[in-house]
Amino acid sequence: MIGNLPFVACMVLIALGLWTLVFKRNLIKLVIGIGLIESGVNLFLVALGYVRGGVPPIYTYAPAGAPMVLPTPQALTLTSIVIGLATTALMLAFAVVIYRHKGTLDARKIRDLRG
Amino acid sequence: MREALTVLTGQGYWSPLIWAAAALGTFLLAGLLWWRGRREYKRGTEQELPFVSGERVENPRVGALHLYWGLTEALRPLLERLRGWHSGVVNDYAGWFVVVLGVVLLLLLL
Amino acid sequence: MGAHIPILAIAVPLLGGFATPLLAKLHRRLRDLWALLVVLFVGACVGYVAVHVFAQGLWVYVLGARSPQETLAPGGFPIRIMLVVDGMSAFMGIIAGLLALVAFPFALKFLPEEEGKNLALTLGLLLLAGILGMAYTGDLFNFFVFLEVTSIAACALIGYRTWTSRAPEAAFKTMLLYSLSGLLFLLAVALLYGEYGALNLAYLSAQLRGSRVDRLALALFLGALAMKAAAAPVHFWAPDAYGEAPAAQTLLLVVNTQVSLYGLWRVLFTLYGGVWDAGLGWLVVAMGLLTLVVAAFMALLQTDLGRLVAYGAVSQIGYMMLGVGVGLATLAGRPDYGLVALKGGVFHMLNDALTVGLLFLCVGAVEWATGTRDLRELGGLGHGLPEVALCFLLASLALAGIPPLNGFASKILIYEGSFRLSPILTAIAVLASILLLAVYARAFQGAFLGPRAEVPRRVPAVFLLAMAVLAVGIVVLGLVPGFFLEGVVTPAAEALWRGRAQYLAAVLGG
Repeated sequence: MIGNLPFVACMVLIALGLWTLVFKRNLIKLVIGIGLIESGVNLFLVALGYVRGGVPPIYTYAPAGAPMVLPTPQALTLTSIVIGLATTALMLAFAVVIYRHKGTLDARKIRDLRG
Repeated sequence: MREALTVLTGQGYWSPLIWAAAALGTFLLAGLLWWRGRREYKRGTEQELPFVSGERVENPRVGALHLYWGLTEALRPLLERLRGWHSGVVNDYAGWFVVVLGVVLLLLLL
Repeated sequence: MGAHIPILAIAVPLLGGFATPLLAKLHRRLRDLWALLVVLFVGACVGYVAVHVFAQGLWVYVLGARSPQETLAPGGFPIRIMLVVDGMSAFMGIIAGLLALVAFPFALKFLPEEEGKNLALTLGLLLLAGILGMAYTGDLFNFFVFLEVTSIAACALIGYRTWTSRAPEAAFKTMLLYSLSGLLFLLAVALLYGEYGALNLAYLSAQLRGSRVDRLALALFLGALAMKAAAAPVHFWAPDAYGEAPAAQTLLLVVNTQVSLYGLWRVLFTLYGGVWDAGLGWLVVAMGLLTLVVAAFMALLQTDLGRLVAYGAVSQIGYMMLGVGVGLATLAGRPDYGLVALKGGVFHMLNDALTVGLLFLCVGAVEWATGTRDLRELGGLGHGLPEVALCFLLASLALAGIPPLNGFASKILIYEGSFRLSPILTAIAVLASILLLAVYARAFQGAFLGPRAEVPRRVPAVFLLAMAVLAVGIVVLGLVPGFFLEGVVTPAAEALWRGRAQYLAAVLGG
């Protein structure tokens, strides 16, 4: 059971993120919601690659015959984190610009484009 | 060459060449009817103006947004609902996505 | 050199994009020339790849090894990133190359120098690189990376005009939904990786058993890609994005939408082709019909020319989903009419690229000439801009499926194919087509007919040239549809219809 805890945690994170996206009105909080989902997915990826009792996947340092954790998910996670940084920065930049134009960050008031 | 022009649809075929021949025939017929029309109206007089209950109208153009007034009026309940869905609030859009995801999950996992 | 063409088609626009602002520091003319050269090179590459693939079948390009067999690990799965170009990928590449070739010369003239032209050109090239990456890659994680590249480039392209208040708003909404869909796509990839320990599309496809986890991943794939492809009811970002991006760059956004749709076909036909079930096809058909009807009705309500055309573009997505969805629903028995509908859906992607592209160029020309897109203010432009009016009329008729233009050639295939599955589908699709004709008649009447209006700015020749290319394409594809159907569309449709076995064999060997 305790081994499944990371997976439970990332599902909770994703659910919280979706809840934030649907019910929170502040644009910055929406970006945080995306960040929550991203953390959940990244945690999921890293947790997938864990091998019980594994050592870091560095051949020159690992003791002979010891199990290693999978290196691929870590590489994927790193990529995903970098992409997440770019998307978060872009969204926050747009939020700043929107605030300058409208003087508000309330999603209900930022609806010039509708219908 | 014939293959390049024709599209087989399984039950029939579509050939732009035959369509073009038919269209030419139709245009000729229409031209014939138009040619047989009356020509004795006087050019440049008020006979050329649109007839609006005998009134003289300054700008007789019907704007694009007045087209299909009857249709949009008849469909107003539907169209208003559709417009309501496109509310412009980004939370609603995310909510729609969650709904779609839920429906797809239900359909696929059950 | 020739062996590396597929990766060059992705790498060169990537390099080109980042080099563009640097070259602009030297000279603006140099930058324009550079952007044109890059796009020409990409066009030549996708053309070469397409000719090669249509003549000799699948092209597998492995990064860092000579053939895919050299990369097979002891477990039997390929360990390197690879590009796998089959008929459908090559077809998507052609569409992307064609629209880029039209959009960039137009954009060079259309974008004002003081309003971030550097940004728009850079982002356009990055977007092109991402699109071609999505089309050519044979690796799921790679697909995700390119998906995010297109997301970021597309949203920056929508919102870079920060001095207007509407563009950042559209960009924020689009970016939020794009990131959400990208993350759920990654979650699906992670689920498959957790179950099978691989990311290669062909290997995963061979291993998939249709377990509960697989189906969960499929649902996430479907939701995420449907969102990026602007299928109803998750299309809400599309009219905002199409309407607010600069008209020339909207063509690239249209290709971006189409390549997401291509990703959906890749997942449904190739990845899940072995554990297929009919309900999926019906799901795609249902979403397609909803998209058609909702977008057509919404187009009826628009007063902004750009937004009206955008809704028309969204409704065309519905036709593609309908055609390919019918093919997917009948994949078990593989009857002839399923292939007919599938061909229609695939053919419609090319036709949609031409017609919607031409419509957006017309919107751009109108905006250039008059400075507004509002149908309440426009009118009588047909006297001053007869060429633009003619192009708009041609594209509207093609989009509504009036013979003998290209839209009809693909729509009749979709109609006849879907009719055999259920006549109701055809009825709804035809009704939506009629509605679209009405919508575009109204737009044409509003913008171009009426008493002569002043045209403050002349439309430059390069606009007309770009529009003429697409207009000629529309007419030629309409008059000799069979030629293109046999040469380009059939290989693409066959790659989805029966191509899965060849796809797996080409990557995994045997």
